Amino acid sequence: MSATAESLKAGAPQGAPAPVSDDRRVDGFVVGVSIIGLLLLGALIALETAPFLVGLFAVGTVLGIALYHGAFGFTGGWRSFVVKKRSAGLRAQLALLALASMLFIPILGSIEPGSGMSGAVAPVGVSLVVGSFLFGFGMQLGGGCGSGTLFTVGAGNIRMVLTLVFFIVGSVIGTLHLPWWLELPGVNPVSLISGLGIWGALAIQLALCGALAWWVTQIERRHHGAIEQRVFSGPDRGYISNLFKGQWPLFWAVVVLAVGNLGVLLLSGHPWGITFAFGLWGAKILQAVGVDMSQFEFWTWDYPSLALADSVLVNVTSVTNFGLLLGAMLAAGLAGRYNQASSGRIPPRSLLAAVLGGLIMGYGARLGFGCNIGALFSGIASASLHGWIWFAAAWVGSLLGIRARPWFSLSNS
Amino acid sequence: MSTVQRHYKRWRVIVILMLIGGVVMADHIGSPTFRMNMGEGGLETTLSQRQSQTSACAPCGAPCRPED
Repeated sequence: MSATAESLKAGAPQGAPAPVSDDRRVDGFVVGVSIIGLLLLGALIALETAPFLVGLFAVGTVLGIALYHGAFGFTGGWRSFVVKKRSAGLRAQLALLALASMLFIPILGSIEPGSGMSGAVAPVGVSLVVGSFLFGFGMQLGGGCGSGTLFTVGAGNIRMVLTLVFFIVGSVIGTLHLPWWLELPGVNPVSLISGLGIWGALAIQLALCGALAWWVTQIERRHHGAIEQRVFSGPDRGYISNLFKGQWPLFWAVVVLAVGNLGVLLLSGHPWGITFAFGLWGAKILQAVGVDMSQFEFWTWDYPSLALADSVLVNVTSVTNFGLLLGAMLAAGLAGRYNQASSGRIPPRSLLAAVLGGLIMGYGARLGFGCNIGALFSGIASASLHGWIWFAAAWVGSLLGIRARPWFSLSNS
Repeated sequence: MSTVQRHYKRWRVIVILMLIGGVVMADHIGSPTFRMNMGEGGLETTLSQRQSQTSACAPCGAPCRPED
């Protein structure tokens, strides 16, 4: 979970709904600016590109709102389970994976070859394991994963801007090294749909998600006697207030994120991803200052080379990210909390953690073929083995990252 | 009802968004898609690649796979 997500929950006792208080006022300036930004950028995309990209921009906006209002992040959910043995965030993530599997697998298993639609499948090898391990470590220092970094930046969190900047730097370095990593031992992508069929793959996926949910629930019960009721319940302020100002029950975010990812798949032909755009933005900056990116193998491959040459407004990942940033800004304005996570002095060691976390996440995301969204969420929803391996390796990296946090003045409590 | 406690300066938000918008516009104006929209022909763009390509080439950074 991100810094913003943490601050949203600050003061809320574990295992109980958030305090009932609706004295928050909408920040009209932030809401107005974000709506103007959405309209202007949406109009530009509509005029200059294609209708499906306008749709992606809209889906990205909704995803940004859901991430912010649901305070949905992977980083804090994992840490909360490891440190406090609280599993609500992790259970919500497993529910997300199960729901997305139910939506994706029948579609991906039924598409005709040559349809232009494919799941998030990637090779399984040293590159994936090292990359996802690094990502898991980095996200605990950075304070957010791929989606967490992006939506907190949209909500005006200054520290996370630093994380994002170095996420971009790390991503570019990762693109330069990826071809070398891919030479190391590994196998071609493994699709459970190809091996087991639609229903076999779905059964395995749901069984795994169910077994993990049962396991984390048992651990929470053993330590606390009861489980946290945050998945289905939110603050008692009424549905309309919760919907527009937040905070959403985690389950609302789960449904919106799963359906949103399906929307990205149907519109663009590929599931939701975030971090390819970070490497692309960094490479474009280098190219603008005179660096010849074509000397690097990654940027000669079909997809990256054309993405580099063409407008960010026709890059599906960038367009979705733009929507997400502005959607999170809109949500933060509606909640009256824009930039609130940046109030007060940020310790220098925390800034160092943001730099290191961003760099490591960026590098890891390229080696691991994405972040918690592109590799974990979309990979598992696509029944690709690499998604599960990413999950396991990132979890191990995250355990080390959690241990390292106190060295950087970052609290684990 | 409490008032909104702002932790930011409005002009900074506007300047940052305008800067980002300017960078996006500059990138777009220099792109093959913009030139094609202006009537220039014979250009390969992301959208034309998308129409002609049916192989799995996901934007995750993995090398594109030939059609299964």
